[in-house]
Amino acid sequence: MGRKEIVAALKTKFERQNQVAVVLLFVAAALFPFMPGVEGWMASQASLIVIYIMAAQGVSLLVGYTGLVTVGHGGFLAIGAYTSALLTKYFGIDLSLGLIAGGLMSGLIGYGLGLIFLRLSGAFMAIGTLGFAFFIGAIINNVPLFEGRTGINLPASRIFGVKIGDFGFYLVAVAALALTTLLIYCVVRSGVGRAFMALRDAEKAAESSGVNRVFYRTLAFSISAAITGVAGALNGHVVNYVSSEVYADIWYSVDFLVAGVVGGSALLMGPFIGGAFIVMVPFFLEKLADFAYILKGIVLIAVLLLAPAGVADLLARPFRAMRRRRLAAAGDSLGLVGAAAARAQTAEGR
Amino acid sequence: MTSHLRCENVTVRFGGVVACDKVNLDVEEGKIVGLIGPNGAGKTTLFNVLSRFQPYEAGHVYFRGGPVDNKRPHDMIRLGMARTYQNIKLFGEQTTLANILIGAHRLIGNPIANMFWLPKARQTERTLHNRAIEIAEMLHLENDLDTLVRNLPYGYQKRVELARALASNPEIILLDEPVAGCNEEETNELKEIVRRVNRDLGITIFLVEHDMSMVMTVCDYIYVINFGANLADGSPTEVQKNPDVIGAYLGEDYHA
Amino acid sequence: MHRKTKKVGTASPGRRVLLGQQIISGLASGSLYALTAVAVVVVFRNTRTINLAQGDFAMVGAFLAMVLIKDMHLNYYLALAAVVVACILLGILTERIVMRPIADSDWLTLFTATLGVYYILHGVAGWVWGRDTKAFPVTFDPTPINFAGTIVSQGHLINMGWAIAIGLVLYVFFKYTKQGIAMRAVTDDPDTAQLMGIPVRFIVLLTWGMAGFLAAFAGVLLSPIVYVSPEMMDQVLIKGYVAAVFGGLYSIQGAIIGALMIGVAENLAGGYLGAHYKTATAFAMIVLLLTFRPQGLFGIQKRREI
Repeated sequence: MGRKEIVAALKTKFERQNQVAVVLLFVAAALFPFMPGVEGWMASQASLIVIYIMAAQGVSLLVGYTGLVTVGHGGFLAIGAYTSALLTKYFGIDLSLGLIAGGLMSGLIGYGLGLIFLRLSGAFMAIGTLGFAFFIGAIINNVPLFEGRTGINLPASRIFGVKIGDFGFYLVAVAALALTTLLIYCVVRSGVGRAFMALRDAEKAAESSGVNRVFYRTLAFSISAAITGVAGALNGHVVNYVSSEVYADIWYSVDFLVAGVVGGSALLMGPFIGGAFIVMVPFFLEKLADFAYILKGIVLIAVLLLAPAGVADLLARPFRAMRRRRLAAAGDSLGLVGAAAARAQTAEGR
Repeated sequence: MTSHLRCENVTVRFGGVVACDKVNLDVEEGKIVGLIGPNGAGKTTLFNVLSRFQPYEAGHVYFRGGPVDNKRPHDMIRLGMARTYQNIKLFGEQTTLANILIGAHRLIGNPIANMFWLPKARQTERTLHNRAIEIAEMLHLENDLDTLVRNLPYGYQKRVELARALASNPEIILLDEPVAGCNEEETNELKEIVRRVNRDLGITIFLVEHDMSMVMTVCDYIYVINFGANLADGSPTEVQKNPDVIGAYLGEDYHA
Repeated sequence: MHRKTKKVGTASPGRRVLLGQQIISGLASGSLYALTAVAVVVVFRNTRTINLAQGDFAMVGAFLAMVLIKDMHLNYYLALAAVVVACILLGILTERIVMRPIADSDWLTLFTATLGVYYILHGVAGWVWGRDTKAFPVTFDPTPINFAGTIVSQGHLINMGWAIAIGLVLYVFFKYTKQGIAMRAVTDDPDTAQLMGIPVRFIVLLTWGMAGFLAAFAGVLLSPIVYVSPEMMDQVLIKGYVAAVFGGLYSIQGAIIGALMIGVAENLAGGYLGAHYKTATAFAMIVLLLTFRPQGLFGIQKRREI
């Protein structure tokens, strides 16, 4: 067995460990409501965290993998929420269908937005997407169908015909999060994910390798919007109420971006940390809103200064270093690493 | 003799400056064809015309006899043309393997199927991975598949770029100054690789190069342009003897 | 997390309003947006940073002015001078503490870092001065004055006068002073500027100082209209940012024109459609513009490929 095979085998092993860790995390999350002393409001609060994580996943797919920026994903949250809410109110559809419809509608509008903003980047993209969030806000405030600030009251959620309470809803949310996580995992490891990253790193070179910029940019926008749309649908049903008071608020959009940056984008775990952070800060500092602001600002700046790739990346560093050592040791046993090290030195010398 | 890539009376203007003036050239299938000329002669512009990055105001480009004037860069790869860049344009934050796989992008099939890892897409991905590794072995990159490209020495990066171009299964590769900035050892290695790609894989090669030793030893046929216009063409020995070519290069104080 | 939106500009005097009057008061609020828009442009083109804290520099300035005038009974102009100094210091501190260590990062990092500054200033202001809206000790003078055939409030005229004066100061600064010319050189090509011996770091510091300078005036001049609260500048910041993008992000003139257009357009929309269409109008304009001209009205496409 040569070095290549050993390295490949080790990598497969590491990847398996990663997968096991994520699966264990989800199992723990699913078992949470069955722990003694857990009350309904805790499950609702936990659902909220799940929703934020999912919304942050949508943002991080766009920001981290495609290199686009969005300050408008609150708009997609609203689209998902209202799509599902209206369908539930007028047609009494099942929660499962509501989530799918919310995701699809959001993805469709995301596709359109991706097409309109095809040529934008950076600061221009930020203001364009922010404008989109405002636009959605203006619509739900002013179009009678959406019932503005009065809001729409929803019946208790039913999943596959069965009425569910706070705990049931939490489990549904975790299951949905598992699906979106799986989706992101599949996408970023596929040829499509490679195309996203190629466009992010060197647009021209990607195009000359046959990556169709228009197609992949709009695809990234659609997937990202769809994921945040599902989060929006959940967000409406967690309190069985939607109103423009909540969804016309552009600060959601900003919060999702912060969640993406704090957690880090280019890692599966990033949105988990970022989403949880954004929910937990105001929750624990409810009486001290000003300190919540200060804390949020300080954490944000500290992350940017100390761990520009996000907290998830910071936490992963020791593990990565360990893996690198083991990979190097595997190569060393075949006397190959010396040559590689020499090359690395030449590279630094340049 | 079949024409693989041909341009006819191509003219490019930047503002008032004429970068290419009615340039003609013809790359024969299966050959290694070079393009040389003094600095600022319009080589890179012409190169970008052929890979369809550069719009031109007059003239035509033909690929296997068919006009490709309206194609976009990502269309050319589907026709079987790949290119490299003078100043390396790699995905530095990604590994060698990832870079090579991007080159194979046109072979991933239906992107939606690929995204959801449907059974057929799985099969394709496995094939692409294996081929990427084969290509890496051919270019002596197999020990650096996991290395981030920005950590690789310059000569290696040049080879990764070539590997990425090869991964798309091209019929023709356009190389923009493949040995620029390389030391002698790296140059010799690349010469050998270019020959092998041409001979073993039957890929047509069109290259722009400053390094005369590279052009003269590797190419079957050479075009010379100066001030954006055709100056001469012929086999390496013919071009070397051509008084116009010698004049053009002496004017630039050239030392071979 | 929910913010109350506040109207900027005067309350419309009934439904039947004169077009000319609407336009003039639109220009008046537009000229105040321009203070923020110009600051956004000046910082962006020298540092690639969209400064989301720009509005909060002004907000802190407004609170300081309030304290100085109301509690310490300082003269308005003396207070204004003190606030200008304080805001310049705030800009410089932001650059030194937060922005300089990450100056070479990508665009998004710089953008979110200023968001962090925004959060901190918001929190600190709320903590020190409270969340509730406070009246500014100097009130807006609504005395009607006949101006070019239309009736304008005296307060609007005064504000426009200030904005024009500041514009002239900037013009002279960029055109004739050594620092102003150096600042433009850094905008055009930071690398060459460095080679030519221009102290780029100092110029960047100066840029942030100028942002503070403009914020001080924006805060003090807007306070009588929007009143003083931690959120007072949120809407103005967004409009200033929109105006800056409107003008292409590199052009000061473009930002001023953008700000005036937004001021007029939203005033007309507010007068004829209803007050809650004001902000929506600004965004409708920008989204429409970006759809057809991604580089803004006066922008140059791919001015700096990074």
